Amino acid sequence: MDSFATVISILYQFATNGAFLLLSALGLIVILGMMNIINLAHGELMMMGAYTASIAWHHGVPFWLCAILAFLVVALFGALLERTIVRRFYGRELGALVVTWGISLILSQGALMVFGPFLPAIPIPGGSVGVGQYSFSVYWLMVIALSCVLIAGLWALYNYTTFGLQARAAMQNAAMARALGVNTERIYMLTFSLGAGLAGFSGALFAPTVSIAPFMGQQFVAPAFITVVVGGATNVITGAVGSSLLLSLVKTPIGFVFGAFVGTVALLLAALVIIRLMPDGISAVIQRRIDRRHRFA
Amino acid sequence: MGRLSHLLKLLTGPEDIGRSPLFWAAFVAVSIFLFVYPFWLTEFEVTNIAYYLLNVPIALGLGLLWGYCGVLSFGQVAYFGIAGYVYGIVAGNMIGEAAGPIIGSLCGLAVSALVAAIFGYFVFYGRVQSWIVPILTLVLTLLLETFLGQTAGYQWRIGSVQLGGYNGMTGIPAFRLGEYVVMGYRFYYYVLITVIMTYLCLRLLVNSRHGKVMLAIREDAIRAELLGYDIRARQLVVFVLAAILAGVSGLLYVQWGNYITPSQVGLLQASLPVIWVAVGGRESLLAVLLSTCALNWLNYTLSSEGYQYALIITGALLVAVMLFFPSGIVVALARDLPKRGLRALLHGGEGDAG
Repeated sequence: MDSFATVISILYQFATNGAFLLLSALGLIVILGMMNIINLAHGELMMMGAYTASIAWHHGVPFWLCAILAFLVVALFGALLERTIVRRFYGRELGALVVTWGISLILSQGALMVFGPFLPAIPIPGGSVGVGQYSFSVYWLMVIALSCVLIAGLWALYNYTTFGLQARAAMQNAAMARALGVNTERIYMLTFSLGAGLAGFSGALFAPTVSIAPFMGQQFVAPAFITVVVGGATNVITGAVGSSLLLSLVKTPIGFVFGAFVGTVALLLAALVIIRLMPDGISAVIQRRIDRRHRFA
Repeated sequence: MGRLSHLLKLLTGPEDIGRSPLFWAAFVAVSIFLFVYPFWLTEFEVTNIAYYLLNVPIALGLGLLWGYCGVLSFGQVAYFGIAGYVYGIVAGNMIGEAAGPIIGSLCGLAVSALVAAIFGYFVFYGRVQSWIVPILTLVLTLLLETFLGQTAGYQWRIGSVQLGGYNGMTGIPAFRLGEYVVMGYRFYYYVLITVIMTYLCLRLLVNSRHGKVMLAIREDAIRAELLGYDIRARQLVVFVLAAILAGVSGLLYVQWGNYITPSQVGLLQASLPVIWVAVGGRESLLAVLLSTCALNWLNYTLSSEGYQYALIITGALLVAVMLFFPSGIVVALARDLPKRGLRALLHGGEGDAG
């Protein structure tokens, strides 16, 4: 029974790390995959999500509703940001990086001035369940399940809706998609908004587990960006899932033995080695596999 | 004599704004002014001005890397911090020995260069996409900050020097050459000479053959490669050079304030060189030089008045510049100033034609 419990515990650790990386990076990777733009204000969008959730929760809104509210608020803000600033930087990747950095400075410092150095915390919903001598947080189990649902939802969105079809077309060849009547401007705006919303949603989900402060976004910067670099921009879903699972495989044992910081350093080193082997990320490798199978089938 | 005229020709080559004789007259005049006017200032004021100047090398390094080579780095402060800390460790363990600060400086620069070389090898030889370099350099500097932040306590002691965790390393010895301890007025001149020499050397570099190849890589990496240049090695060399320049600023910083804290390699500090370079104009060394001094002065003035808007103003400035002056304010002014006189001053002969 003990060894069974240990296996469950290891799986739990692994899934928790994977879900953390996936949720940190998902919004970023959605935007990157579509527009080849890295949104450096990503951490601050997560901060906005956490702020929205905290404010709503302390006004008596149930937590799950808070998370959805965070998605909507930040998605709206994302759309606004895209319309006013980001859309001027399509095709200028480095310019987009720098301008979103400027936005992140304004957002974090603005939050500090408007809301002060801390917002009241949200207690972690749910208790814990025990298996053998280990106990697991129900909340994190829910988060793991939710990230699976989220990925399934994104997959359905990209594969079964008109938006998804047009989005994939714009990703492959924007000029051709435009020529065939796809409104790529609208696709870009919706994608940026979706990515921002996902960041806000993740921020709300992480809100009970961290302290809610103006500069809280910084702690997600390293894991999120490493996940994106390893995942690559070729395919949003395989990139996000493959990369977070692979990195969790690195982080879980090393973090368990040497502590969280060394775990994150191991992530960076793993990312350096991985980009040396597959410069376009894991999603490009998977995509090539899929393409080859289709060709021979 | 032939060598000298060759150097002069390189110095006035086309790859920076400010090429006319009038510009060089102004450059010399400003330099002389900077050398002379500390006589009218107190030691405190001179030390402040030295602080605005000491950030110029890291900014010039980033300008070279981003503007001339097309590689953006958000992590230049990592090399700044590495050089500063290594200097503190080495020189701090050699207190009393005349050569300590010199050996410490060399070690600091060497370690910065080494880290950049290892890091750059993976990035450039992997031929990654352009957005990956800034992201990974940013992650590197954040991890460095986290690492240095947890080095509090007695076990984090190298020789007789404590790393000091979030409180940082204190009591770092000043630079000295033999008998002369470089402080106060001497420190100002030491920084001023370093800055002017760095600027002139980089101007020689960007107008040299190597500089032309660098620009070719920026303009079209594949074409440059098809012409037979090893773009990976070239980018790596520039990356290491930029790291060394960041290290120079780091050395000057610790020799100026005699302390360094992990927040020097944090996210906010990391954004500053990018802002200086973007606001001035990344494709001109002169613009970077000017905007770095101006923005350091501005930032110092704002924050010394306890101005909580300082970060918002810098952020807004960055966004506004990227939106309205994508090539930078100084460069835009130099290019578009309608006044003929100023145009002739900044552009030399060709400016009149445009």
